[in-house]
Amino acid sequence: MTAKSAELPASFASGSVLARRNPTVKLALLFVVSLAMVFIFDPVTPAVLYVVALAAVVASTRLPLRTLALGHVPFLAFGLGILMVNALSRPGYILWDAGPLRITAEGLSVGGSLALRTLVIGILAIGFIASTDGVALMGSLHQHARLGSRITYAVLAGYRMLQEMPREWQTIRQAHAVRAQLRPDGSLPSGLAAYGRAAFALLVVSVRKGERMAQSLESRGLGLTPRTTWRKIPLTRTDWLMAAAVLAVLGGIVYASHVLGFLEGYDALFS
Amino acid sequence: MPAEPALALHDVAVEFPRRDAAVLRGITLRLEPGEHLIVLGASGSGKSTLLQAITGVVPHTVLSTLTGSVSVKGTATTDASVVELSRHVGVLAQDPSSGVCLPDVEQELALPLENRAVPPEHISARIDHALSLVGAAGLRQRQTNKLSGGEGQRVALAASLIAEPALLLLDEPTSMLDPAGLTAVRQAIDAAAAAYGPAVVLVEHRLDDYAGRAGIAGLPGRALVLGDAGQVLADGATAAVLAGSAGRLNARGCWLPLETELLAVTGQPGGLGSRDVCSALRALALPDDDGGAPDAPGAGDTVLAAENVSVSRGAGRKKRRRRRADRVEPAILRNVNVELRRGEITALLGANGTGKTSLLLTLAGLLPPAEGTVLGARPGMVFQNPEHQFVAHTVAEEVRHGRPDAAPDFFNHLLEQHRLTHLADQSPFRLSGGEKRRLSVAAMLAHERPSLLADEPTFGLDRRDTIATASAFKQAAAGGSAILFSSHDLRTVAALADRAVVVAERTVIADGAVFDVLRDANVLARAGLRLPPLLDWLLAEFASDREIRRVLDRLDAAVSGGSSVQRLAGSRA
Repeated sequence: MTAKSAELPASFASGSVLARRNPTVKLALLFVVSLAMVFIFDPVTPAVLYVVALAAVVASTRLPLRTLALGHVPFLAFGLGILMVNALSRPGYILWDAGPLRITAEGLSVGGSLALRTLVIGILAIGFIASTDGVALMGSLHQHARLGSRITYAVLAGYRMLQEMPREWQTIRQAHAVRAQLRPDGSLPSGLAAYGRAAFALLVVSVRKGERMAQSLESRGLGLTPRTTWRKIPLTRTDWLMAAAVLAVLGGIVYASHVLGFLEGYDALFS
Repeated sequence: MPAEPALALHDVAVEFPRRDAAVLRGITLRLEPGEHLIVLGASGSGKSTLLQAITGVVPHTVLSTLTGSVSVKGTATTDASVVELSRHVGVLAQDPSSGVCLPDVEQELALPLENRAVPPEHISARIDHALSLVGAAGLRQRQTNKLSGGEGQRVALAASLIAEPALLLLDEPTSMLDPAGLTAVRQAIDAAAAAYGPAVVLVEHRLDDYAGRAGIAGLPGRALVLGDAGQVLADGATAAVLAGSAGRLNARGCWLPLETELLAVTGQPGGLGSRDVCSALRALALPDDDGGAPDAPGAGDTVLAAENVSVSRGAGRKKRRRRRADRVEPAILRNVNVELRRGEITALLGANGTGKTSLLLTLAGLLPPAEGTVLGARPGMVFQNPEHQFVAHTVAEEVRHGRPDAAPDFFNHLLEQHRLTHLADQSPFRLSGGEKRRLSVAAMLAHERPSLLADEPTFGLDRRDTIATASAFKQAAAGGSAILFSSHDLRTVAALADRAVVVAERTVIADGAVFDVLRDANVLARAGLRLPPLLDWLLAEFASDREIRRVLDRLDAAVSGGSSVQRLAGSRA
């Protein structure tokens, strides 16, 4: 009855170059790049950014190709959806049509931009998640982003509860299956109501456990001030260098794109 | 300067809203630094509330009214928050999985020190020290979700003592552990309490297990007995208090050290070392005037059979039709051949982690066998944690679940039989531990399946509820059910089971009449099972199984009835 999901290592790319960087800095950079992407609506700039980000993530995490590809699946699916919707629905110069379907140049351009934007954010998120230990992230947010100790440790305790939930869920489903009325063919019913009952039992058991954990944390003195931090998550010059490099590359690419005439902003939506 | 008491309660009363009677009343208590106290009392006598009043959870976190005063190290609990009080109080609760909160052992132990602003350069050495005191030095680099119950509880103990509180509260610290874990945690508590020197308040109802082979000497030196109305009945040296309250505590379903239990039943002190006690026990083995209980009817036909079954935890994880393609996990049990027969109660014995639960799940059809077949009609199964089974919002609906065809009378009778009638409208999740167990058994028996499987059905129950569960099984068996239950409690096994199946070395190593199996020292040793002293004595003393069973039954009868043998014998006629 082991739950395999609970046995994954804390991060896939532990020990890599990127894993040694400060989690808060990485998270902030992910946020800044994502924010910058919001203002870019041409396909070329995000395409270049994606290629550069992909190269950087591969080089700094050494992720196996398979993991990298699997991580792309949700972003690719989402991006493809956006591309289709825009290509088919955006008005403009018609490249191709068949009956009610038509594809416009503007649609392809904006849709491609949005899809590539998804991939840029996606590859950076993959790099971040694969290289960042959840516990270190919380510790770092506590130290460097002034996240309160009570919230920090509550999240960590919640993380531990999450680890145990798959096993608990399985046991509850088995316990419920014993008394379930079988279908005519002898198989177990899998209706929504059965899931609802199991979810309710899991909720009750988890809320109880959460309450006990909260009491444990309080009995350990969580919330006392002043407090010290034993293992500081380092925030070094290298982290600042990385931040500067990422921002410089981002700015450089956007500027080059502008000079070369590729860059488009919101106007692209209304042209 | 006179030493400040570690703990002082003066005329404390606690009331909860929506409850008529106070849970605690008139409690006055003073505990000196380093003094060890055990709080005794039946379920519901307010033991847990007393601990909550000391940590400040009552009245700060739980809605309640506290009158009188509680002070820890001179700090009144009403004037300080729970977190502020934690500077003086360490707590070890019963459930290891919620007593350890963070993903890594190291962090778990660093947290109390960080919170008390210990300079970072001292923390590592103190973690090593605390872990070595609880015999867990090797666990430092481990992740907490991989710890066993006993390991988790030792880590939690280290975390509750590492900041050197003046007072350590132990809330049934071993009640959720298997025998191996229990022994390790017991040793750890003694060693760590000796090294850090806090005053200790222990609440525990499994005194027999907690005291271990040392008997009464294995308990804290001072004892406090709470009565059913939450008042102090006795306070003094543990041996004297136990002697004075033996009959009452035994009758109220506390698990007592054997010596105390035998005193309660026979009226003689000294335990099995005393000739008087032994002759009184021999008298318990004598048949009644009417020739004793009639023989149990022999076992009937086979209703569930495992043929050459291999049990694998992984086999059931994916959908059945994809199973072949999956990487098959190694079987945890092989070549299992077990038959369950009508009217027969079988005990499933074995150390922790040998696959008893997985075997039960396989027999229940919830895990597909990796090899072999399970033949027979669909069995019922009762899980270790009754809450996992609950599907309804009231007790009455719970027993009806899955039986829309049965008449109302059937359920009324069932509720009555399991003493649940007065709880019919309550939520299953709000019942006490013993009530939850009775409900889970009743709800399963409502399905009238030919066989019933039970995973540690008496785990964590007080003695009265253990006996109630056992008698529900006896009734079901008398009604023609085949029953298989797993248990670590060999005394309950000896009192209840007809047959025993022992798993060890990845297979079934013994299957036979229960007393034949329990007499087989070789089997017990291979399975890591240890007979409790009473059973040891009984097996050596009596050749006949019926005599042993009679002694055990009559010891159990003392729990719900009076405390004298005569009355017992009379009431059984």
